[in-house]
Amino acid sequence: MMNELRKSFHQDLEEVRSELVYLAAFVTESIPRATNILLSGDLEGADYVISSDDEIDARALDLEERCVQILALQSPVAIDLRQILAALRMIAEVERSADLVCNICKAARRIYGHQLDPALRGIITRMGEQAQQLYIAAIESFVENDAAKAAAIDDMDNYLDALQKQFVQAIFESHAAGHIDLQVAVQLAVVARFYERIGDHAVNIGERVRFVVTGWLPEHRGAARYRSRPMGSEQEYGGVVSPPTDEASA
Amino acid sequence: MTFLWLVIGCVFGAAAMALIMSRRAKRAPVPAPAADPATEQSLQQLRVVADRLQAALDAMPVGVIVADGDGRVVVRNKASDQAGGDTHNEVLVQAAVQHHLRGALRGGQRSQTVELYGPPRRVVIVHAQPLGSDGAVATIEDVTERSRLDSVRTDFVANISHELKTPIGALAVLAETLIDEDDPVLISRLAGKTVNEAHRVAGIIDDLLELSRIELSGDLVVSQCDVGALVREASSRISYAARQREVLLKVCEIPGDLTLNADHAQIASALGNLVDNAVKYSEPGGSVTLTAFPESKGITFTVTDSGIGIPSHDLDRIFERFYRVDRARSRGTGGSGLGLAIVRHVASNHGGAVTVDSREGEGSTFRLHIPDRPLTGADHPSRMRTRP
Repeated sequence: MMNELRKSFHQDLEEVRSELVYLAAFVTESIPRATNILLSGDLEGADYVISSDDEIDARALDLEERCVQILALQSPVAIDLRQILAALRMIAEVERSADLVCNICKAARRIYGHQLDPALRGIITRMGEQAQQLYIAAIESFVENDAAKAAAIDDMDNYLDALQKQFVQAIFESHAAGHIDLQVAVQLAVVARFYERIGDHAVNIGERVRFVVTGWLPEHRGAARYRSRPMGSEQEYGGVVSPPTDEASA
Repeated sequence: MTFLWLVIGCVFGAAAMALIMSRRAKRAPVPAPAADPATEQSLQQLRVVADRLQAALDAMPVGVIVADGDGRVVVRNKASDQAGGDTHNEVLVQAAVQHHLRGALRGGQRSQTVELYGPPRRVVIVHAQPLGSDGAVATIEDVTERSRLDSVRTDFVANISHELKTPIGALAVLAETLIDEDDPVLISRLAGKTVNEAHRVAGIIDDLLELSRIELSGDLVVSQCDVGALVREASSRISYAARQREVLLKVCEIPGDLTLNADHAQIASALGNLVDNAVKYSEPGGSVTLTAFPESKGITFTVTDSGIGIPSHDLDRIFERFYRVDRARSRGTGGSGLGLAIVRHVASNHGGAVTVDSREGEGSTFRLHIPDRPLTGADHPSRMRTRP
């Protein structure tokens, strides 16, 4: 009977993992689709991506509920507990990434009819490719429980951040040359931010994978710094709301 | 049709075997009593048939997945495991299969075309149907190539009608206007436009004839060509246009003794088209560089520009006839849309290849590799058959 219970629990866990991988795969596939929609002004495609986000929201909610049920009913421990805790965080990351993909498509509607410089188009393509590569690495590290691959995602994100900066510079140049108006320039800057945020969510997923496999969290580093301060281990939390004033320090 | 029956036969056979085996396994007590020789022989025969059917399924290019009445997968072939390619694509295809298998178990056939943006782009058709009264079968068919050919054919018809009809329509309208016009200034302007359109049609017809000649002529007039002279010839043909567009044309130093046995006229035409494109798609102040170097028993010509570049999703289509990256056909660059098709055919006729690396906003590099062909008579042009 006990074995049967655990079997059902592990089957539940496996189903949560599969559904999470499906949602992440959907986002991964949507990134190049959104890039193409943005560059080709495909309004029909934009509508499709935006409407399909509702399904992702619904599935993410169901998955979250399932995780909470497992927590409440099965009392998981050790790696099983980390899997559920990580899944709860990852669902939010994936769902938010899907929203950002939608936002790119909404931006495509707003800049519809405006011609973009080849330089801008080239950097958008590269940002889309890099964001997708980050998500692919995140999925693979999750599926393979590969903490080393998950750790590499952060480095990959640096390139996406550099592309965003390069893109903002290119927007200034294009606007200064009179090729795009201010409204389009602002939309494009926001689009660059969307890609950059998708990359950040992939990095967060990678960090949760490391947590599942090794128990390590990036917050451990900050917490260790805090505790190593002279007063860190003794003072109560809440003492860092504002910097100390002269009066206070006196 | 025979193949379809073979698939259906294999699927039904394999499913029946799997179900019989699984039911036998369910009924078998633990530990299993020693079977009598006749039962053991029957089981052995069943295993042989099941193995044979599984091998037949594995040999098929179509992915096949069979589920029992509870939705559990009981049979799947090798093609079904690599249906999607990358991990995330595989996940999406398998999710579609599971979804439609569940639907088929409730009754009725189901089918879905799954378009994966890749890269590379893939199109997969997932089809599921009930399997008798117990179970369902799903097939996964990769139709990427078929889909690509469909779009090539559709686009070709649309593009050729546009390229040919537009200037002819313009000529007719201009001529009609000229008939009733008395103002000499307007007549002069309309006549100028008429001449431009006539030149445009003539250019398209010239390119079509050249492409047709390159495609249909079975013979290559092979001679020993001076590679440096070929490159300089291509450069000098386009140097005037380059100066007009303020594009710097650079020819790298090529050793004087570098030769290639090939059809001189065809290679000159291909190089001319590559350089012409590079100049046309470069911004003023940009540069175009030509090089040639020996590689893999032949010569590789490269034409690099710092122009507008080519979108990644167009890279595998630019060698099609009349294909244009600029869908709006803003005719700023002129041309017939046949130049790269000519280059591809020249490369193909010589058993070589043309490839391109490009990024939008950064420029493109075209590489034309032509293998050296043997001369039948020393130092004399010869005629060699390249096609049956």
